Amino acid sequence: MKPKHSIEVASTQVENVTSPRTSSSINNMGRIRYDKKAESEFFVDNSALAGFTGERILYMAVRELIENSLDSCEIHHILPDITLSLKLVDPLNDLWLISCEDNGIGIPADKVPVAVCSFLTSGKYVEKQQRGLFGVGLKMIAAFSTKDTDHPLRVWSKSSEDRAEHYFDLRTDINTNKPIVMAKNALKPPDGRIKHPSGFRIEAILRARLSPITKSRIYEYISQTSVVNPYSVLVFETDDGRVVFDRRTNAIPEPAKEVLPHPSDMDLKTLKKAVMNYMNQKTTIHGLLCSAFQKISGEKAKEIIGRAGVDLKAANLYNEHELIKIVNVCKHTKFQSPNTDHLSPIGEQILTAGMTSEYAITMNKDVRGSLPQDQPHLTVKVLKPSLTAYSSRTCVINNRPTVVECGIAYGGDIGSFKLYRFANKIPLLYDEGSDVAREVVSEVEINRMGISKKEVKEQFSTADTKSDRAVEMLPIHIFFHICSTKIPYKTAGKESIAAEGELKKYMKSCLADLYRKVSAQIRKELRVKDAENRLRLYRHYIPFIIEAISESIDIDAKRLYELFNKLAERHVKGESLPTKPNYIEDTITEDRIQQEVGKDTLAPSKTASPNMYGEKALGDEDKYLRSNTSALRTKKKTSILAPSKDNQPENLRHTTRIKNKKRKKKEIDNQITLDKFDKFRRPREPGRR
Amino acid sequence: MPAIDERHQEVIKKIKLVMKDISKNITVERMPVLDVPKIGYDNTIWSEEKRMLTIGSKKVQVSPDSIKKIPTFSQYLVMANAVRKLLDEEMESTIRGMYYATLSTVGDDKIKQKFWNSQENSDDAIKAVELLTGVPREEFSVTSKPKGMISGPITLRVGGDVIDCSLGSRATSQLIPTNIRDLEIIDVKADFIMVVEKDTVLNNIRKSGFIQKYNAILLTGSGEPDRATRMMVKTLNEVWKKPVVIFTDADPWGLGIALRYKIGSESLSYDSDRLVTPDAKVLGMMFSDIYEYNIPEVARLPATEEDISRATDMKKKPWLNDKKWQKELSLFLQRKEKCELDAFFKHGFRYLAETYIPEKLRHAGLL
Repeated sequence: MKPKHSIEVASTQVENVTSPRTSSSINNMGRIRYDKKAESEFFVDNSALAGFTGERILYMAVRELIENSLDSCEIHHILPDITLSLKLVDPLNDLWLISCEDNGIGIPADKVPVAVCSFLTSGKYVEKQQRGLFGVGLKMIAAFSTKDTDHPLRVWSKSSEDRAEHYFDLRTDINTNKPIVMAKNALKPPDGRIKHPSGFRIEAILRARLSPITKSRIYEYISQTSVVNPYSVLVFETDDGRVVFDRRTNAIPEPAKEVLPHPSDMDLKTLKKAVMNYMNQKTTIHGLLCSAFQKISGEKAKEIIGRAGVDLKAANLYNEHELIKIVNVCKHTKFQSPNTDHLSPIGEQILTAGMTSEYAITMNKDVRGSLPQDQPHLTVKVLKPSLTAYSSRTCVINNRPTVVECGIAYGGDIGSFKLYRFANKIPLLYDEGSDVAREVVSEVEINRMGISKKEVKEQFSTADTKSDRAVEMLPIHIFFHICSTKIPYKTAGKESIAAEGELKKYMKSCLADLYRKVSAQIRKELRVKDAENRLRLYRHYIPFIIEAISESIDIDAKRLYELFNKLAERHVKGESLPTKPNYIEDTITEDRIQQEVGKDTLAPSKTASPNMYGEKALGDEDKYLRSNTSALRTKKKTSILAPSKDNQPENLRHTTRIKNKKRKKKEIDNQITLDKFDKFRRPREPGRR
Repeated sequence: MPAIDERHQEVIKKIKLVMKDISKNITVERMPVLDVPKIGYDNTIWSEEKRMLTIGSKKVQVSPDSIKKIPTFSQYLVMANAVRKLLDEEMESTIRGMYYATLSTVGDDKIKQKFWNSQENSDDAIKAVELLTGVPREEFSVTSKPKGMISGPITLRVGGDVIDCSLGSRATSQLIPTNIRDLEIIDVKADFIMVVEKDTVLNNIRKSGFIQKYNAILLTGSGEPDRATRMMVKTLNEVWKKPVVIFTDADPWGLGIALRYKIGSESLSYDSDRLVTPDAKVLGMMFSDIYEYNIPEVARLPATEEDISRATDMKKKPWLNDKKWQKELSLFLQRKEKCELDAFFKHGFRYLAETYIPEKLRHAGLL
């Protein structure tokens, strides 16, 4: 084993450096020991760089394992079949067993120990879109397992190259970044653990606490992963139960291809690396530019060299001063946009498959006690929206080609607004507030699509609606996927994306596209919902109306109820109903009171037809005299303050009224005061009439 | 009393007719419509002939054909039915009682709401029943809490009891019952009727022996007068031929109250014929009196923004284009000061009753 590098600058005792008392002594001044740290030690000490901090260890472990497995499958067009298990094995010491098995290409037996344990060893150091990039994740799991427990990592690997399965017990030598192979066995078919033609399985014991919040984040992570990977089967086993995310499509995105660097992104390092790579081929700088970079034609290469003013000679003969001139020229030259072969967007078909049956893990609330022991506490709910839409844009951000994909799932089982963010197919769960997607959603107005906030509020707003924005009251899920070899993350934690360059502009135009696509449907649904609400309102109030009527007059309440309901339904559907001016007698006249109420003919006659009433109302003006209320009052007989002396029998009063009727209406109107005060008790004093 | 029963029968019949029309419309698949006379400024007409505010011909259509009107429509019907029940059972009720009698919830378990948002809703429905039947609510036994007070040489029959309001008139006043069925004026011996805005002022004037000295009836509506009080004033003026004078505070609110008696109000314009006393004389307190009677500055109050906007509003009303009122309102808008009648106490407790009011009455030719 390679010993730790250490360079002694001055001979000194290390402990002196850390002790303030001794470091102040003159003898020990200026003596510093420079150590070189192994990568493994560095990453274990700075685990936050890879996101492995306290609470989040298990979350990160789940992420890394799933992402590695998905990458390993997609690279060879294999439909992923992944089983992840997370179980608490020793509650006293917070020990968790995490295991992950996939049907990917596996790792050749000789590479397994380094691939699992040595930091910064990766098969992914190429210019193409992948989930993992740095060769850190899996190694962190190995290092943490080694650091915190005495259990080895158990690894099964069946490489697609030789189809032979091998088993390993591994630990990491954190001081040297080297794997320690404790056991290695070749497994013949009956003993093999991996059922698939190839694959990889790992089991690790980790010491970690899992808070309910982190737990739900893990569930959320897996749910969201399944949305953008609908072509994979995901099995997730926990102490709370086992959930299966089915494969919803057999389409798998075109795997990303490795591409040559784009010249606008050229720097001294890339150019020198190209020179090194082409060392043996004895090419000129002209040939090198054409073959080591994309989008440089012979013509263009000539132009670059000419403008750089360097002599033409074998590529390996240039010194750094000459090479930097070429770099400088390239920085100022316009090239065609980089091609996107190295990107692997999800694509319309696959994202739509994910959106049309969105799987979400739900936890049963009453976990302990009330549920039977064998009933799983975790279940998968499949959300089927009533419509989905997809839109994408390709653009160049930071000289890197970037694909923006946006999807919308609306209505159906979806109950409320939710924003999903993905970067290179990885769900982003934290820091939503500071993400560019958030800004995009709040800046693109759905109101412009003919959907008014008021309408939305009326139909969808509930007590727990927090936002005041129209779109956030809709039952809508918005998905943003950004893929690039260099995602402009806002922070080292890689949980939110910055509004770099024109990224926001492209995202906005994507979203506006989608709003256009779905707004017609939303408008339609709003109308339907509005009609439903109106009908419900009728259903709620009709009983009150019917009760009031049926208590007052003798009528078949049940029949009237049915008729009114039918009328309301037709009305809500927008069928034209005659109202004004064809409606029936609306004016109360003395005559009608006498004729209709008096004769006790209150129930509508069964032979009644609209025409009959219509004619009555419009034709016989004289009879159905439309008097206003003040005119009515003129005919009142009784006084206000004193009871009337008018004790005529019923039939006699009838005749009085019929006589009154013969007076012209105008006259009646002018009669008010006299008519009224006539009936007052006369004052005893003389002088009045 | 048969006559009153007959009156009640008429209301019941009218309600039944409304119900009948609605059910008929439903039977022939038409959305029923209630035509309710519109209340408010734009349907209030100044009648030069009657010298009062009257209601115009505009109507509000309340029909369940519009989603917003469904609750209103059913509220009106429920209230109409409740009134009918009240009369059928020969009971009486306050407006609050009607609110309680019809309390209910609407909807299912998912969305449940109150049938009335507040008593204001049910008061509106009662008003609608008045408008629909053309019968004021006092006549269908729905009343409010009495607050009008009367004191002086007048004999009333309240219920079955005969009450002489001049007895003990140095110490108390008689409440004016709101249910006019219970009230009958038997005799009036006074020379004139004086209406004041507040009961505190009335008490002060009564205490001074004003009633006995000038043979007057003192009357107050305790702020905004209820209908019974207004009707009482009208009857005393028009039936018993007694001149009526009105004293209110010198602020837009007080002026508003004085005008309720004299010309009526927009919100009760449909009932002006029964409520308004056009011959009543508004004698004070004028805005100009603040300065003529040297009310000291400490006793004046600065006008609030609401006062200003109210006064500005009043100044534009066509029924206030009389020169005298315009001048008073202009003065108020210019000085932005108001004053209560109580401010005269600053000149001494007997000043109001023994100096200010007699002077005003003399000026009006009543003394």
